Amino acid sequence: MKKDLKGLGHERTILLAILLQLFIALFSSFLMVGLTSMYDPSALSKYSTVHYNIAYNGSDSDLRGLLASDSSLRVYDMELAPALQSLKERKLVAVVYVPDTRPDATDPVKITLYTLKNDLQAAVVDVKLKEQFVKYEGELRQIRAERIDEEPIPLDIPKSTGGSDYYEFVYGLLIPLLVIMPAIISSALVIDLITEEYQNNTLETLLSTPIRANEIFWGKVAAALILVPLQAGIWLFLLMLNGITIVNAPQILAYVTIVAMVLILVASITALYYRERTAAQFVYSTAIVVLMLFSLALPENPMNIIAKLATGSAGMEQWLVLGLIIAVVMILSVLTNRYAAKSMRGNQAPR
Amino acid sequence: MGYSRDILTIAKWEVKRSVGTMGKNVLPVAIILIVLLIAVTGFTAKSGLHLQDGIYKVGTNDPELASLFSGDARFSVDLADTATIQRNQDYYDLMIFNRVVYVHDTDRGKAAAKTMERDYTKYRSNVYNQQSDLFAAYPLWIDIQYIRSELDFTATQSGQQVSVRPRSNQPPSPTGPVEPVAVPDTSIGISIEELRSNLQQSTSKNSQISRYTDMFSGSGNPLGAYKTPDQLSPPLPFDSIILVFLFIFPLYFMSQFFMMSIMNERVGRRGELLLSTPARPSAIILGKALPYFAGMVVISAFLTLWIKASPYIVLPLIPVILFFLAAALLIGMISRSFKELSFISIFFSTIATSYLFFPSIFANIHVVSLISPLTLIVLTLQGTAISATDYLYSTSLFWLSAVVLFYVGVVNFREERLFSQSDLFAKTSDFIASTLSFKRPYLSLFLFNAFLIPFVFMVQLMLLVLFFNLPMPLSLILLLIGAAFIEEIAKSLGIYSMIRKAPQFFTWPVIVGASIATALGFLFGEKLLLFVTLSQITESVFGSIIFTSLGVLWMPFLLHFSGVLIIAASIKKGGEIGYGIGLLAAVTLHCLYNAYIILGWLS
Repeated sequence: MKKDLKGLGHERTILLAILLQLFIALFSSFLMVGLTSMYDPSALSKYSTVHYNIAYNGSDSDLRGLLASDSSLRVYDMELAPALQSLKERKLVAVVYVPDTRPDATDPVKITLYTLKNDLQAAVVDVKLKEQFVKYEGELRQIRAERIDEEPIPLDIPKSTGGSDYYEFVYGLLIPLLVIMPAIISSALVIDLITEEYQNNTLETLLSTPIRANEIFWGKVAAALILVPLQAGIWLFLLMLNGITIVNAPQILAYVTIVAMVLILVASITALYYRERTAAQFVYSTAIVVLMLFSLALPENPMNIIAKLATGSAGMEQWLVLGLIIAVVMILSVLTNRYAAKSMRGNQAPR
Repeated sequence: MGYSRDILTIAKWEVKRSVGTMGKNVLPVAIILIVLLIAVTGFTAKSGLHLQDGIYKVGTNDPELASLFSGDARFSVDLADTATIQRNQDYYDLMIFNRVVYVHDTDRGKAAAKTMERDYTKYRSNVYNQQSDLFAAYPLWIDIQYIRSELDFTATQSGQQVSVRPRSNQPPSPTGPVEPVAVPDTSIGISIEELRSNLQQSTSKNSQISRYTDMFSGSGNPLGAYKTPDQLSPPLPFDSIILVFLFIFPLYFMSQFFMMSIMNERVGRRGELLLSTPARPSAIILGKALPYFAGMVVISAFLTLWIKASPYIVLPLIPVILFFLAAALLIGMISRSFKELSFISIFFSTIATSYLFFPSIFANIHVVSLISPLTLIVLTLQGTAISATDYLYSTSLFWLSAVVLFYVGVVNFREERLFSQSDLFAKTSDFIASTLSFKRPYLSLFLFNAFLIPFVFMVQLMLLVLFFNLPMPLSLILLLIGAAFIEEIAKSLGIYSMIRKAPQFFTWPVIVGASIATALGFLFGEKLLLFVTLSQITESVFGSIIFTSLGVLWMPFLLHFSGVLIIAASIKKGGEIGYGIGLLAAVTLHCLYNAYIILGWLS
């Protein structure tokens, strides 16, 4: 194991991996806004403090009052043609045209919203406009209430006071995925470590030393495994530095390490079987996609437990699932141990 | 004739070899795995992704609401009487009594409230969708009309930011010509039943996924334009990331196979046999790359057909394919072990993907988006026409870099390079030194630096994308220092490699001569590339930093010359440490020069 770890350090390419993590971390604030907005577009509007210019034309309505009540919007009354031209020149962010349909008519009230294509700002304003449109829709519904047969159960949900937007994204998606990455990388690494010995024909030389075949094998597995809690720990630490509280960090690291062990064992069986990098990596990559998808579709899967641990909502089931995975690891270890000894002493040409 | 026959022969061998190694043992397993994948995907579609199950705890005494919210797996709902629930208040994130929701004052509680709000809106929509008088349930409909308005760098320079400055009580007045516009029609023109089915469909869709799949369905959907307020969901510029996953990821995957093929020739010196054949190295490389190139083009074409998009999308992808293959070639030639191969290729692919993705965010907004071929794809999908000059702007750098990288690979495809075990930096330096000839040092330095320009530009443009929307003085300063640093390193590469290889060759007259050749080559390449592309960027103050003034030529020449001379002299006198010091000195000089230019521009 020491040889392999030293080898990794020597090659200085691990520096590249660290540089990469730094590169991603540097972009983290940009990524956070970007990724959160992909998950929940309305989150964008909380980040802006600027006032936006909107033009209102058409017939008068309660909507104008609602729009004016939003402190981040400035509403101007303008004719349609100059308003659109101003929009093109970015002097306005949106133009709203309201028809003369009466609120209690049987026809719908069709508002035309002119907005800029693909513009980040326009996206923010659209979210603010949506709030006011929803309110106006509520008003109109009240007016037309008698024509509605069945009302939904009324429910009073207090308005969220901010900070809740990216919670689900960070704890429910980002943290589990981020923390599983080192496990996947280490399992790919162990394939490299093993197939290298076969393809470079260095295995025989190694076997002639006093080290036993199994020790060689487990040394490599250990080298790959140690990296997992280290890397996952660094990610969690970086997240905490960014102000994201993570509870139960030790349990999360324990989970990740155990899951990594499963992946590493599967990967090493693939590597021992094919004895050649391309084939082993290809088969393993496909297998891992199947494995991950399948486990995500099961309730109480490890990723789900990690999400619950991070939010502090995990109960007793975490120990049950942990026990189950440990059992799987033990069985796999015994099988792999026997297979490794057989494979390393047998035919060493690529399959 | 023999040359192209060689290429085809090697291509055939490559295909036979890959199919052979992969064939016997991998193919059956691969087929089983693909079948399993389809089965698992079906299973997942039915059972759903259980990633966020049970993160929120809800307590209520109302059985109707309990069953309503149990449908969302994120909620773990307890139905009990009021007293029991209130006794465990700290355990629950949300408690519902008498149709009022009480939120636990933690981050988790607030997030739970937000999710409940979304679920409740969906439930409400479902109820309203069933109403016989649809326009009583949905009295308000929004017709969204998109206006296109593109910014260029002169706007940013003149202080006009992408955001809008607020005015006083006066409405803004347009400066351009005002065209008469027809007042929109008040009727919707679509039958109630069609609207109802549209609503029911959209309520059942998962909006987070459909935002991406809708991107491919194009603008042909007539119902898509009318939305109820709840349905409003602004399309975000980051949505183009799906294109990265769809198109770029398979390319990266395939180039990995090519990389491994090259690497395998070096393992155990197996490639010696191939090198001893009469086939030229370029034929070997082209022959090996040909099957993978064809495969990548076919995959891209297939994906294009699958999303039913215009076939022109494949055109911007071809230079990207070549670039990936060229990089794969060099990475395969440089790495000393499989671990190194994995690390370097991951590093390279992250940088390349960022280069492709970030500018495309600004598609339709800013000209800078044209730096990336991905933008061309985004624009084509939206139905905007692409001109030949747009294509040239976006892809010229990729074509040029691919050609240069292939050349470096071909020149170094020799025994002593492929089978050596020196470390990364030494090897890169050796590679570069091979492309330079000692018999005609000045000519080769000239050409080398001229061909280095595409890479220098790529890196500097990436800096530009990163910095340009920062507030004015900061973005200029950062760009200034960064650009100077990159240029000086680039210029020093040729001379450093040559001095390292044969220090005794470099007497003082030779150093001066080499500096002149480097400076000339750099300048020549710069002006040539400018002539062909990117004039829109150069006409701004940003351009003047990167591309040095178009007017007088002797000043930039003098700048380049002095920079290289400082570095070369420092290397000769001080070796590696001298290199570092000389580099710093040259960068400082360059920054001062640029600052002088900027002050001149702004006054």
